[in-house]
Amino acid sequence: MTMRHPKDSSGRQELLPWLAVLALFLTFPAWLGEYWLGSAIVGLFYVMMAASWNLLAGFTGQVSFAHAAFAGVGAYTSGILAVKLGLHPLLGVPIGVAAAALLSLGLGALCIRMGGIYLSLTTLAFSEILRLVINNEYQVTRGTMGLKVPFILGDYSKATAFYLMLAAAAVVLLVIRWLLKSDLGLMFRAVQNDEVAADSLGVPVTRIRVTAFVVSGAMAGLAGGLYGHYLTLITPHIPSLDLMFLVLAMAVIGGMGTFAGPVVGALFLEVLAEYIRVWGEFHVLIFSLVALGFARFLPGGIVGLAGAWLARRGTPAGKGGAA
Amino acid sequence: MSDLLMYLTNGVVIGIIYALSALGVSLIVGIMNVVNFAHGELYILAGYFSAIFASALGLGPIPAMVLAVAAVFVLGLLLEWTLIRPTYGDDMYSLIITFILSIILQNAYLFIFGPYPQKPPNWISGASNLFGLFFYGNQRLLCLAVAVGVIAGFFLVLHKTWFGRVVRAVSMDREVAAMLGVNPVRVNLLAFGLGCALAGAAGVILTPIFPVTPTVGVGVSLTAFVVVVLGGMGSFSGCVVGGLILGLVENLGAAYLDSGYKHLFGFVILIMVLFFRPAGLFGQKQL
Repeated sequence: MTMRHPKDSSGRQELLPWLAVLALFLTFPAWLGEYWLGSAIVGLFYVMMAASWNLLAGFTGQVSFAHAAFAGVGAYTSGILAVKLGLHPLLGVPIGVAAAALLSLGLGALCIRMGGIYLSLTTLAFSEILRLVINNEYQVTRGTMGLKVPFILGDYSKATAFYLMLAAAAVVLLVIRWLLKSDLGLMFRAVQNDEVAADSLGVPVTRIRVTAFVVSGAMAGLAGGLYGHYLTLITPHIPSLDLMFLVLAMAVIGGMGTFAGPVVGALFLEVLAEYIRVWGEFHVLIFSLVALGFARFLPGGIVGLAGAWLARRGTPAGKGGAA
Repeated sequence: MSDLLMYLTNGVVIGIIYALSALGVSLIVGIMNVVNFAHGELYILAGYFSAIFASALGLGPIPAMVLAVAAVFVLGLLLEWTLIRPTYGDDMYSLIITFILSIILQNAYLFIFGPYPQKPPNWISGASNLFGLFFYGNQRLLCLAVAVGVIAGFFLVLHKTWFGRVVRAVSMDREVAAMLGVNPVRVNLLAFGLGCALAGAAGVILTPIFPVTPTVGVGVSLTAFVVVVLGGMGSFSGCVVGGLILGLVENLGAAYLDSGYKHLFGFVILIMVLFFRPAGLFGQKQL
């Protein structure tokens, strides 16, 4: 958790690898094939989830266990509005985002002033409440059967879903990058590094933390809403702790507290998941062991490893392909 | 009237075991400032062990329970040594590591023990007539007695022994305790092991009544967390009062309001405590 000045990396040059990756992704629907395009969509969902969770955990030092729950709030809000009122998903998703943001504001205002441990406990409890409500309110949510919802836009097409997901992921990443470079980002890190010092210098610690929590919750709501309307079946898997664990593992394995880490971790684990699918249920166990190994021995994650490797080779950091 | 008394009895039995489990969380929080998110998984492990030791080794219920708790205690020491010690001073990483650990254990149990509920044989059969109004299972009454005994033993150690004095000193003020010659590393190791052993004790006592499956641990952990927040972080008597309150509220709520939402009452309590009295009933310090 070293303090890095937000303006220490030259802005323009750093963007180049990202633009290259974006250009590569834009060509995916032309050659990747239906199956892998589906994986790419799921991968982009995880990119949004892991990057926004990392904004909170990696940059303000608060561990939320409700990130998957907020994705579920986004998905179920939009899905229920579409099913009950016939609202178009493109209108429903923003309402889902607003619902996730409002709930995170309420939760954050309730427990963040008490300190980090309380946020972790309360978000875990919230996640469990949501699971109970979804299972009990069977008439509205269809419980574990899953809620059938309309496709996001027009007729079912993976290319449409992919481009929408890609646009949303790009926007989420741009907003995170912009936030981190802004004064607010500096305050995020001040709050993470030394709460007392930040407080004494006039940083409104609680308000900064709640802001980060709300922004990150809203992003999870967006990711969940789009993902639900891509799957066209919203199940309690979206707000589950299993999915929460995957998101956390992606951020930890990719490298918490770095901008690129969660993106690398999300894409890496999604591709890995496709290859070890044959091992069935073993794959969560493998992921969790790998994540534990990283958390214990390599807290910098893959990005930290790559950075150290580049530094040892004497190459200036910032070059070298991302993902 | 007899219904109400039965719900109250249920509430007390469950509440005391909630208290026992929460004492383990509270001990670790008070000494180390670490919340063990794998608490419930260690509870389950002791439950599985007690079932296996009884069936595979043919041990009687009491040796099987003692052995199961001892095994979880040793595992707790190992976990502290290998995983928690490197995170000292970084609360976020200890949260993340214990959360990952809970996922590892859940999935490992699924492979090792299978998805079906498992339980050790009952210690005792039959039922007793309580208050001349209703019959109540002897197993549950015995569970209550054993849990009360373990809690009493814990408070005895806490107030009558050198170790107890160290624990109370460290949870009041870590730095002053270290200045007065307490070795923090060894106290941390022992506190984590004992915290896990208390989870295990709750597990072996409750498993004959509520069989364990690989995923029930999340609920066990959450219940313990709610009790700790309700009683006040780091307060041991708060755990006992908080556990009893939660056990009674859940059982009365499920009986008179809505049984599908039995576990929701705990969370309602959590939200209300955070709103009205964030330090908890007996909390002096805020983390």
